[in-house]
Amino acid sequence: MTGFSSAGSARGAIAWPAPGSGLPQAGRGYPQEDSQLPADIGPGPDSTRPESEIASSSQAVAVQPLLLDVQALVKRYANGVLANDAVSLQLRRGQVHAILGENGAGKSSLLKMLYGLEQPDAGQIVFDGQPRHFRGPADALQAGIGLVPQHLQLLRSMTVAENLALGQEPMRGLRLDHAQAAAAAQRAMQQYGLAVPVQARVGELPAGLQQRVALLKALHRGARLLLLDEPTALLTPAECDVLFASLRALAAQGLGVLLITHKMAEVEAVADRYTVLRAGKVTGSGSTQGLSPQALATMMMGHALPPLQARRVDARGRPARLSLQGLTVLRPQGRPALDRVCLQIAGGEILGIAGVEGNGQSELADVLAGLCKPTSGTLLLDDSQLPLGQARQMRSRGMGRIGEDRLHDGLAPGLSIADNLAVADYRRPPASRLGWLDARWLARRAAEVLQRDAVVARDPKSLMRDLSGGNMQKLVMAREIGAEPRCLVANQPTRGVDVGAAQRLHSALLGLRDRGAAVLLLSADIDELLALSDRIAVLFEGRLVAHFAADAVSTRTLGLYMTGAFGTQPIAARLDAPFTPGLPAADGGGR
Amino acid sequence: MSVAPASSPGTRTGGAIGLALLVAFVLLCIVSTEPVNALRQLLTGALPMPHWSAETGWVWQRLARFTGVLNNAVTLTLLGLAMLFGLRARQFSMGADGQMMLAALAALATGVWLPPLGGFSWLLAAVVAMATGFAWGLLPGWLKTRFDANEIVTTLMLNIVALQLFRWIIVQGFNDPAAGFLATPALQPLALAPNIPGTQLSCLLLLLVLAPLAAQALLAKTTLGFEIRVAGDSLPFARQAGLPVARTVILSMALGGLFAGLAGLQLSHGLLGRLPADLPAGLGFQGLVVALLAGNEPKRVPIAAFGYALLEGGAQAMERNSDVPRELVKVIQALVVLLVACERLPLRELRTWASSKLPAALQHRLGTGRGSASPRASAREAS
Repeated sequence: MTGFSSAGSARGAIAWPAPGSGLPQAGRGYPQEDSQLPADIGPGPDSTRPESEIASSSQAVAVQPLLLDVQALVKRYANGVLANDAVSLQLRRGQVHAILGENGAGKSSLLKMLYGLEQPDAGQIVFDGQPRHFRGPADALQAGIGLVPQHLQLLRSMTVAENLALGQEPMRGLRLDHAQAAAAAQRAMQQYGLAVPVQARVGELPAGLQQRVALLKALHRGARLLLLDEPTALLTPAECDVLFASLRALAAQGLGVLLITHKMAEVEAVADRYTVLRAGKVTGSGSTQGLSPQALATMMMGHALPPLQARRVDARGRPARLSLQGLTVLRPQGRPALDRVCLQIAGGEILGIAGVEGNGQSELADVLAGLCKPTSGTLLLDDSQLPLGQARQMRSRGMGRIGEDRLHDGLAPGLSIADNLAVADYRRPPASRLGWLDARWLARRAAEVLQRDAVVARDPKSLMRDLSGGNMQKLVMAREIGAEPRCLVANQPTRGVDVGAAQRLHSALLGLRDRGAAVLLLSADIDELLALSDRIAVLFEGRLVAHFAADAVSTRTLGLYMTGAFGTQPIAARLDAPFTPGLPAADGGGR
Repeated sequence: MSVAPASSPGTRTGGAIGLALLVAFVLLCIVSTEPVNALRQLLTGALPMPHWSAETGWVWQRLARFTGVLNNAVTLTLLGLAMLFGLRARQFSMGADGQMMLAALAALATGVWLPPLGGFSWLLAAVVAMATGFAWGLLPGWLKTRFDANEIVTTLMLNIVALQLFRWIIVQGFNDPAAGFLATPALQPLALAPNIPGTQLSCLLLLLVLAPLAAQALLAKTTLGFEIRVAGDSLPFARQAGLPVARTVILSMALGGLFAGLAGLQLSHGLLGRLPADLPAGLGFQGLVVALLAGNEPKRVPIAAFGYALLEGGAQAMERNSDVPRELVKVIQALVVLLVACERLPLRELRTWASSKLPAALQHRLGTGRGSASPRASAREAS
């Protein structure tokens, strides 16, 4: 991963255009309002701490009492996995504490014990000065610990106010008192300085706001310690910044925040202190001030992270391998999901697609996978037309896919690892002959993949569902890249993947490129796009609105084009198309 | 973090049966004056008994009754496999009943109309039976993929069609006036499936072993079986990966029909030799029960079928030799199915609870050493 140091600060510096610039969509209005928040909700008048101390809180926290004292927690699961091995950490009031670690390091187990979902085998949890034994989440809530899970548990068809009221509904006879619920939501909103549209249905809100509703819900139930499980996994960079500002503001009110992450840049951006777990043990902890990403990586993985050596390819002038012409996907109502998208990728090149999620990325990936038939437009692979809307044909012609929701449609949980890997090539020799599978070859191949990609699994016969999410992801990637597609479409490939695995995936993608494949990389992670792509196009409201050489564009420029602030006219990202000029002022000439 | 592995279906089923028998015993204690004898009849009444007499020495008694159980087990195995293919592709195809009836009629007609061919006409009848079952299973699959017709509805309706077609054909002319009741003409002895050499048992009994092996190989070793397993486990994944989903869905139902067709052959050429017009409907649903008891594993289907048939034979014995009405065994059968259908029985919770309370060192030896514990498990499965 590159750009550790720039990530936090550079993103924070993005000046969002003022709201009310004629944007019709409610969804897009939120990030702009959000960015005003940190100023609005600084420390309240009742806060005893001057503002300057909050920014550099490590001196200030010394005076705050301990909120949470975890003493040598041990958790061993029934299958023998030692998830937590004498884990200790301390959290004071007003602190944000980050727990880092790779997938399977024991972060979630720790959180589960703190929230009463699992019981520790040894050790003690002291909360607010008292030793606690949580038999279940109800006990933890009672004590004042709230959890915001990674997959938010909100009722999407109900309003924000109703969601907040759930569990403590103000009743009017036998019916919910909507007015009172709304008023309570308003009060909570003001008390904690978290602005949410109280009457909107949760399902219609963008991910960042849904997250805020979940935060508010935990607070509304009286949480003084917030546990967040990978809160940024589904957020855009801008939404992350807003979330971090909210968390800092909550900490300034004297709450404690414990958050799980495996993104190192986030630690720097939001946390006062950190604890690193590796294989269930604490391998490092301390203040985040002056902490280097390299040191963190070493603590997380046991070895330093080798910097990614990405050679840029200038493929202009080469023949196009994949070519999209005037691709349009209309929806029953509203604006088109994809609007006249024209792009080309040469063999041996990575084209990155930047964009805030929901601007057509999934539709683009689905069209290229044959899962969705475009309304109009053509697809050419090596100058021959691809059959539209036929997944099977697309696959056999050499289109590969790393889908966005891999754990849902990228694997069969009830089948073995060997079977899951076989899906890409089961009907060709050597995997099968005349309709008969070569089970031994499949098992041997699976064993090789397990070894090569360091997947934690008993053997190739293990069921996919018995693996951890991170290991499932590794196998999906291994299958798709191992199939050696002529063109690979990778949609958010490192979402939910830990640093080490992301690094491996990045080099695998570059390797695939260097063997001559065309790669289309859709990612909400700008750093990832900048690190891997050769060219970058920006997708906004289903249109490609900008086209850059990846080594001549800054995070800031991309961020601005992603919001549609600089033109929404469709451009073509062909190999011979001109690049969009960068921002003239304050751009600093790229990275 | 990986979660604790679920207990194997074998132990779960064993536990469920044990629990059901416990409940049965309690019920027997209430309704019977001799509950122990009644339970003994239920469990062993259908098994052959060695008997000593001075003249003949050791002889097996009740062999005929046990043959009945075995024949029943074959039919149930084939019907279980018929249900299993659809279920593995996550298709709730309930059509085994109709497939079996039409296949039995087609096989019988082949046997009646064709010359005996030196005793090999039954093989041709087998092909006809399988083809009939296959075709009758293809139909709902095609309706589903082409017209999006719910397979539960179509298969149940096609069962009615098949049953009435079966009766209509027999009533309208394909019958034997000399039989004394409405039934098809009887098969010539030479047209029947031959006996296993040296025994009085039809060679169709071998299907008890061969059919599950074939089904197992089809599912585990062929690309078609692979497609069925993937589509059944995750349809979105199968679509996304470019598997021929529609073809897989159709073929899963048709393959089920193929096994139901073999059950039809067992009826016409193994058990009855002629088909009465009032052949009872509903056998197919016992196949569903067997498939569920076997956890949709072909290898376990004959075990489940045998257990089911044994229970039924034991019920008849209990009815004859004790004061318990036969209805009770229906209750017990239903209880077993009900308990097996419970994915999360309290037994598992109890075990997890126990393992969490055991000292870590002991747990390490028991829990992670799954390999060392397996001889016991495999012995249990083999029995």
